[in-house]
Amino acid sequence: MTAEADCAGPAISVEKLTFCYPGSELKALDELSFQVSAGEFVGITGPTGAGKSSLLLCLNGIIPHFQDGKFHGAVKIDGCDTFDTSCAELARKVGSVFQDPEAQIVAPVVEEEIAFGLENLAIPPREIDQRIAESLELIGISSLRHRSTTQLSGGQKQRVAIAAAIALKPKILLLDEPTSELDPIGTMEVFEVLRRLNREHHLTVIVVEQKVNILVEYAGRLLIMKNGRIVCDAPPREVLERPELLTSVGLRPPPVGDLAFKLKQRGLYPGALPLTVGDAYQGLSECWADKGI
Amino acid sequence: MIKVVDLHFKYGGVDLEVLRGLGFSIEKGEFVALIGQNGAGKTTLLKQFNALLTPTGGSVEIAGLDTRKSSTGELARKVGFLFQNPDHQIFMPTVAREIGFGPKNLQLSKAQIDARVEEAAEAVGLTAYLGQNPLLLSKGQRQRVAFASVLSMKPEILVLDEPTTGQDYQEGIEIMEMVRKLNELGHTIVFVTHDMELVAAYARRVIVLSRGRVLLDDSCRNVFYRPEILKQTNLFPPQIARLAQMFPERHFERPLTVEEIYREIVNLSENKLNVCCR
Repeated sequence: MTAEADCAGPAISVEKLTFCYPGSELKALDELSFQVSAGEFVGITGPTGAGKSSLLLCLNGIIPHFQDGKFHGAVKIDGCDTFDTSCAELARKVGSVFQDPEAQIVAPVVEEEIAFGLENLAIPPREIDQRIAESLELIGISSLRHRSTTQLSGGQKQRVAIAAAIALKPKILLLDEPTSELDPIGTMEVFEVLRRLNREHHLTVIVVEQKVNILVEYAGRLLIMKNGRIVCDAPPREVLERPELLTSVGLRPPPVGDLAFKLKQRGLYPGALPLTVGDAYQGLSECWADKGI
Repeated sequence: MIKVVDLHFKYGGVDLEVLRGLGFSIEKGEFVALIGQNGAGKTTLLKQFNALLTPTGGSVEIAGLDTRKSSTGELARKVGFLFQNPDHQIFMPTVAREIGFGPKNLQLSKAQIDARVEEAAEAVGLTAYLGQNPLLLSKGQRQRVAFASVLSMKPEILVLDEPTTGQDYQEGIEIMEMVRKLNELGHTIVFVTHDMELVAAYARRVIVLSRGRVLLDDSCRNVFYRPEILKQTNLFPPQIARLAQMFPERHFERPLTVEEIYREIVNLSENKLNVCCR
């Protein structure tokens, strides 16, 4: 409780963070600074080797607690410096979900998977039961409670992994390419859950993702990384206005955003660039109605 | 080149069939995308092509070889596999030995092996790295090492299982461009992916799997303009195809890429404006 009282300020504060893996002179993270307020939905993207995963490991305390290396600067989660805060304590504030659901699901049955983290935090059994029910309900997968984890689809497994993270009641959820193995509908299911947790439950969401398409649709802010640095920190529409920024770091501008950008150059698309196919439909419809096309 | 007839398959000890009577044939020089939801049977089907798995019913024929009567070794001369994670297939201490491993097993002479290694390394731009340990290269480079190891076997058919997952867009495009070049040289290509934009950009034919059966087998354009069927297997068309389908009254010519729809919209707008001005 006293620790709680000491913690104040932004949800995440990163100051001049530099990190090198052992035996490497290369800065995986190079003097990064940024802050995230409680309730933001932040997408992080960039080419492979940009430092995205290393950054997430700094936010949940794996770096510096379990990964050696040269660490400079400061990371504060909910006001607590990760350097002085144990991973167990951080786990109550920050939940993590990784790329491969197979690699993080350990229990044979869904409810046991959710219980696993709670048992490790020595939560009493009755409360565990309640938290399992709550988190499954929150994610919209209550019907999976007694199912075998091996028989779930990829999208279901990732939602179980999110439920397990949420059961610990974190304020911040970190996800590292949570949909890279999923089909398009599975990907959408995961992002819909994240949106709901973010909007209705004020959870701060930080997601690393290669698919810029989906990030611009769901995230309120994009961080683009390259060579351990943040090369762009802006809302999705501003990023779409500068497609060269994406292509210069080897990322694909979302097709409808790219189309509208090109049309706009010829005066054929008015207003803000579209984040979704639906936005583009509306933008073009209005434009054509105006011009009598 | 690939002939699949009423293929059934179930894993040992499991009653449920993963492949439930599917059939298609792929001719030499085709460029085919195999798509479908997680669990549709895509990887199980690919493993039939080199007899890692063999049919429990029906048949698979690769370049005239019945997979039930041929060894994986024999089939390896016909079909090359590139997997999602290069580290699952790299194991030699130098790039040159990694690329030369397959040809060596074909009992070629040293000169022949060297020639194949050089040719494959050049095709993927790794000539300068032949003496290096592949595990010290970047992930994109390791994927190219794995790719060159497949090329050095000179397979007629190249199978790629999610070749761009875990890669960034630029690395993915580099791999697909290499694949495109091979296709132009006459190699038959089959690739699995969840990235519909990639399918639209490269495949000429798309086979859609759902629950162990072929749901659709048609040109890229015909497949992506059947969204109601795709939905049954957890897929949706690329953004541009979805946008064009929201304007049925405009009769777009079924565009798949930004360039295609851009041209149509510019024509549409400027023709109309010219008419107004007159």
